[in-house]
Amino acid sequence: MTDLSEHMTKARDLGLENGRVPVEYYTSPEYFRREQDMIFRRAWLMVGRVDEVPEPGDYIVREVPPLKANVIIARGKDGEVRAFHNACSHRGVALVCQDKGNALTFRCPYHAWTYRIDGSLSAIPGEQDFPHVDKATSGLAPVHLDTWAGFIFLNFAEEPEATLTEFLAGLDVLLDGAPFGDFPFCVRVTDEIDCNWKNLVNAFNEGYHVAILHNKTLRAAVVPKDNPHLHYLDVKQFGPHSAGTVPRNFDYDPQAPALTWVYAQMLPTSAPDLEAIKQGRAGFYEHPGINRLKIPNFGTETITIFPNISIQPLANGYLFYQFWPISAGRMRTEVRIYSRHAPRTLREEYAMASTLAATRDVVVEDMAMSRLQQIGFESGGKTYQQFGQNEPLLRMFTRDYEAYLAGGGMTPFPVQAAAAE
Amino acid sequence: MTETLTLPDGFADLAPFAAVWGKLESQEERYLQRQHCTMKQLKAFYDATAPRLNAIFDHLDRFPMDGLPEPEALLYRTALGLTEAAMAVEVFGQPCVPYAPFPHKMAIKWSEYLP
Repeated sequence: MTDLSEHMTKARDLGLENGRVPVEYYTSPEYFRREQDMIFRRAWLMVGRVDEVPEPGDYIVREVPPLKANVIIARGKDGEVRAFHNACSHRGVALVCQDKGNALTFRCPYHAWTYRIDGSLSAIPGEQDFPHVDKATSGLAPVHLDTWAGFIFLNFAEEPEATLTEFLAGLDVLLDGAPFGDFPFCVRVTDEIDCNWKNLVNAFNEGYHVAILHNKTLRAAVVPKDNPHLHYLDVKQFGPHSAGTVPRNFDYDPQAPALTWVYAQMLPTSAPDLEAIKQGRAGFYEHPGINRLKIPNFGTETITIFPNISIQPLANGYLFYQFWPISAGRMRTEVRIYSRHAPRTLREEYAMASTLAATRDVVVEDMAMSRLQQIGFESGGKTYQQFGQNEPLLRMFTRDYEAYLAGGGMTPFPVQAAAAE
Repeated sequence: MTETLTLPDGFADLAPFAAVWGKLESQEERYLQRQHCTMKQLKAFYDATAPRLNAIFDHLDRFPMDGLPEPEALLYRTALGLTEAAMAVEVFGQPCVPYAPFPHKMAIKWSEYLP
């Protein structure tokens, strides 16, 4: 058995000296305004999956809270997926009011201006009264859209500073071919809470808290004896994005009767499918970019996509977390639990509902703590919070956060990739 | 809702729990119900249902998943309450997640259908 401690990447191994970080970043409305302009209007923002709009005419509507953007994402007759601001060219009405559907056209409910699924304006009732409106240039306002691995990203800059591939800075190469598409079914959990969004980003970027905060929920399943502070292993940097390997306890054997019964019906997404792993059909576990150390008790790879995404691939699916700022002191968390298929029996449905409750409660623990953290921050007694050597990804996120606020951040960092071990 | 609280034969003793949990339609409602129960109530519900999960689903297996007769649908909705009660009884030892705001609401959406 290899000595894992050498893979417990410390902040100093990555040259990250920023162990003290101003609380102001987490409380100040001025910082929030800068985040809106310098991060959320510049970075590519992941908002969904292309399989949410599989057929021509399929559309979804997504909110981007920090920008107050309301966006229609639609697949055209030509098969292309496009994004538009949900605002009529006439007098601004958010004309699509369902959160998803299939349509031939979008018709404004106010005066019936009508748009094709590709966003172009097709009809103005009483058109003779709008001689100054050029229909050809008066479609719905487009938003830049690109996709990677089936994920839809939007960019709200007039002209993006980087392509999506440039933005992903090699993370896309590491995860090339990862089987996200094999797990199309999802359950979404959303919650808003009074705290800064970065509290949650940070919570997902360190395992230090898991044995303490998640003592009753996660500790037994994921914290191994040889890694009691759940150090992430093999920390990898790609521009502002990162990935780190997280172990778990394969011998975890829940004794609680209801939980045990659930495991017998259908493995929750968060548990390793030992049978499938043995047979070499264990989804993400087989991918070369995941668990590069080949640790035998591999749990997940926690993948952070700047600024606000955490993805955790598992044997039976993956977990997806997104953290949206609403203001300096309020945020929305969206959790998606992706699995292979919709429940096919009532037993499976019950098992999924039970897994959902368990996964949600872990996130509730994180959100509860992030809220208490915000109360402490806003109390004003502390000017800094401290990030340890065992919290390298928090220092890394802060470094890149500062770079973005200063107008940079988009160019790859020299330390990336080489920092692996 | 107009249906009466009739459970399938053999499950009539769960009626007091069906009166509370069987009327809930979504996981959000079940989560809130759990938070508003005492541990004594949750434990009584848990003790009555957890040991009978196999019996409950052996019975429900005899019907089509999307076409449960009303007594079976009531039994199933009641059983789904256990997904929340079990977290309180088996994991936390208290109704609410520690340190979370009370009552704590959370929106939950299943793609394609509502269980």
